[in-house]
Amino acid sequence: MKDLKHLIYFENLLDNADNELVEKAKADGKLAIGYTCYHIPEVLLNVDNCFSVRIRAPRTGSIDIATYYMSNYTCEYARALTERGIEGGFNFLDGLAGVDACSMMNRFYEHFELLKMNSKPNFFVTHTDMPYKVEGYSVKAYIKQMRIRLLDVMTEKYGVDTSDAAIRKAVEEHNEVCKILTEIGQMRKADNPVITGYEYHILNLVSYTCPKKYILPYLRETLEELKGRKPDAKPAFRARVAIVGSEIDDPEFTKLIEECGARVVSDRYCFGSTPGREVIELNDSEPALDQICRFYMQHSECARYISDDKVAQRRETADRLAKEYNADGIIYEQMKFCDFWGFERALVSHIMADEYKWPVLSIDRPYNAKSSGQLRTRFQAFVESLEIKRINKNGGVA
Amino acid sequence: MEKKTKYPNPKFFRAKDNIDWKAQIENFKEVGSIIGDMVKETDWKAVKEKMKGKALNTLDRIKKEAASFKQMSTAEKADLIKNGEKQLGKLYRNGDMATVRREWRGVKDTAYDFYEWCRMWGMLLATFSKDLFPALNATFYYRWMISYMCCVGFMDKNTLGQRGTALRMSHTLIYDIFRYVAENLVFLAKCDKKNGNSAELNKKVVLVDEMTMGQIMAGFPDLLGIPYQLMPVFLVSEIDQLTCVPYIDAVESFGLPADACPVPSSECGALVVDALPHMGQCFISSSMPCDGSVMASSYMSRRFPDLPVFHLTFPVRYEYEETVEDGAEDIKACIKFIEEQTGAKWNWDAYFAAMKRFNQETAFELEKWEVNKTQYPQLIGPVYELFRKWNYEMDGGADPRVIKTCKKVNKLMLQAYERKEEPWVGKMKYRGIVWSCPAHYYANFSNWIANCWGVDILVEMESLNFTKPMETEDKEKALMDLARLYERMVMRRHTNGGYKNVVDELWAQCEAWNIDIIIMYQNVACKNMATLQGILDEQARDKGYHMIWIEHDLMDPRTVSRKTMRGKVNEYMRTVMKAEPVDPTLLEFDDENMM
Repeated sequence: MKDLKHLIYFENLLDNADNELVEKAKADGKLAIGYTCYHIPEVLLNVDNCFSVRIRAPRTGSIDIATYYMSNYTCEYARALTERGIEGGFNFLDGLAGVDACSMMNRFYEHFELLKMNSKPNFFVTHTDMPYKVEGYSVKAYIKQMRIRLLDVMTEKYGVDTSDAAIRKAVEEHNEVCKILTEIGQMRKADNPVITGYEYHILNLVSYTCPKKYILPYLRETLEELKGRKPDAKPAFRARVAIVGSEIDDPEFTKLIEECGARVVSDRYCFGSTPGREVIELNDSEPALDQICRFYMQHSECARYISDDKVAQRRETADRLAKEYNADGIIYEQMKFCDFWGFERALVSHIMADEYKWPVLSIDRPYNAKSSGQLRTRFQAFVESLEIKRINKNGGVA
Repeated sequence: MEKKTKYPNPKFFRAKDNIDWKAQIENFKEVGSIIGDMVKETDWKAVKEKMKGKALNTLDRIKKEAASFKQMSTAEKADLIKNGEKQLGKLYRNGDMATVRREWRGVKDTAYDFYEWCRMWGMLLATFSKDLFPALNATFYYRWMISYMCCVGFMDKNTLGQRGTALRMSHTLIYDIFRYVAENLVFLAKCDKKNGNSAELNKKVVLVDEMTMGQIMAGFPDLLGIPYQLMPVFLVSEIDQLTCVPYIDAVESFGLPADACPVPSSECGALVVDALPHMGQCFISSSMPCDGSVMASSYMSRRFPDLPVFHLTFPVRYEYEETVEDGAEDIKACIKFIEEQTGAKWNWDAYFAAMKRFNQETAFELEKWEVNKTQYPQLIGPVYELFRKWNYEMDGGADPRVIKTCKKVNKLMLQAYERKEEPWVGKMKYRGIVWSCPAHYYANFSNWIANCWGVDILVEMESLNFTKPMETEDKEKALMDLARLYERMVMRRHTNGGYKNVVDELWAQCEAWNIDIIIMYQNVACKNMATLQGILDEQARDKGYHMIWIEHDLMDPRTVSRKTMRGKVNEYMRTVMKAEPVDPTLLEFDDENMM
């Protein structure tokens, strides 16, 4: 296939948290609010003159200093962010919207404060409390946290307008991004898709890490380009896979899978499009904040949600996506040392295989997975097994 | 006059069993065939040689002890007879599962110790005789049941080196814990579908996750709340260091990463190897104390899909006042769930009565802290810590008998304080605090460190929990207080809600207790603590505290053995403190196979 016009530009944007578009927005007087987790509704960070940056630590090398502070058997994402923060990589931020959802990520936020990683006078770090289940009272608790511990802090520190009207305006822009990415994402359903999993991962990531206003023109143009893009005559992949699991902000991970002969057709992981790129439909009868909070709780696929309905939802979503996107198998992955996904992956990888009858590959992985020879071997073996299954199913025809 | 009610309800013991004897016989046959295979496959010649070696070794030891006694001066002999032995390392022998003999504590204390030994066995036999057959049968299904037969040995390990009032207090406290254990073992066996299969009792049983405090059940006096995994996993791992190893291996083979906390890992592993009884009317799972525990409940639902589950979850940022009502709401929902599942009704009078007792027990606890903060601490050692945790988490004012124990112990403690007694006679050299979670497989570590180096652990992090009196009149306020209490359960109080609760709190406690040495446990799988190691290290250095880091793997002694744990202390004391051990025989000994 012909290269996407802006792909290299997008790749460059992902080389730094503080990228060209972030700098541009800052130059225009906007406030950058960092966050790491779906539990913080992205749209709330895009109100008034603020813009959201889902923070990453691209091109991470040594994380020795963070390891001194956080030990060597804790989440590498949390450690990589701590290291990058110590290096000054997040000095551009004006605030950090933290959630106390998983202990290791929470400690990253705390180190941010303890080690004084950002010296701006009004800089803030929030620690919002997250419910474990979706009930009437837990939704109210979540709304309360978002109001008191996030929006009110933004107003207090920077005078940000967090009114209902401001939130609704942010939702409009957010929805346009979501519509574009959903439309592009749907293209992966085709037998011979016009977009690779890697390209989609890049597009999705720039939508999380760049100011919406500035990335939108590029996304619009890319959508139009894809509508006219011609796929290769013969698909360059031997199997289609869906990914389910914890945080992946490294597109090289998707590239690694695709280099092994698979096509990633679905991305149900933190930083993926499910959840995250669903359009938020608001009614006029209820405050926007309440609707948004409920929406995020209902759509969350985080393994931290303990209630039976959410446990079932996660399995159903994985099954539904794999079916909708015609996947041949599912890769269950977790960031090494992630407690929530460690338990979830171990159990559900069996359930998806035994009950839902999906071929499953179950892996844990480092933050930087590209250079992992072990993972490459496992992906290659999985692709081969899927291929053999398909050949057997087709009576010996490839 | 208030009507006295027996605790636990005698009806629970009398509930009719429905033992399937046919299935039991099948199981006996299977166990019998395993034993038969073992007998066949055993190299009896090697066994004979080993026994002979041990007998010779014992003979040699007796000779040496006799010779050593003979060489003593009259004063030394009198001291030994009166005050007991001082070289405790001689009680250990390579490869043994127990000490070579019981400790000689002097005439009076040995006699007292033996009396308590008899009293403990008497209580155990009396309790099991309330319904013997299910419990006996359960020993053929669950290996952890066998480990409980060593509970008297556990008592010995925890009181090693203790004399006088300290010994009396320890025995009084541990008796209550094991009475609770014995009663619950009987209930587990009665309810288990494979054993007692008592439908009558099962209707009354609410299983509560072992990491969930028991106080909520105080409002249901007609029901029996059982901390489900406590006996098969948590507590037994303190008695027998090897109990959880098969659980951990099983769940890791299943696919769980080895870096997960051994508590939820072992709980899930116990499900994998079918080591948990099938019982109860419903199950209360919880999000406590940490991330790993949150996830174990889905394994439970998977194993017992017929058991309705309520997930009791509390805010992590528990110091935000606006979150307290969210916790209270969840408690209300949990009460409603129990009512729906069991048909029982929440009883405020019963709840308030239990909370009044709990408040009394807290007052007794605070008195203990006051004494231990002085120059003459009295109640120290592992038994006190175990009692505190059990009393705070599991009993929680439910059992009226515990008040009597608290009164007795505090009376003894105050008398000893007035006499300025030394709980570890001649071994009061350093004031220590334990921070982070201790290793289950080395529950008596604070006993060793006192006997070997004279480091007296005055308090442990896991004891320093919620001490505000619980509301006993206003219902809404009572629920809020209950939420506050749960949010500050053992471990969670410190590891959740922000680093201040565990870092700043440590320095505050060090000052309050006038601490010289911090024993900083490092459970290699505890991410909440691991992510603060640099900060703790830096601040300890700045503040000039001696902090000894001791790695362990909570329930898996293969990762870091007891010997390695001791080695960390030995190294620090020799090289940094330039100290001499109080009992050099305890520096190096082998207890790898010991229970």
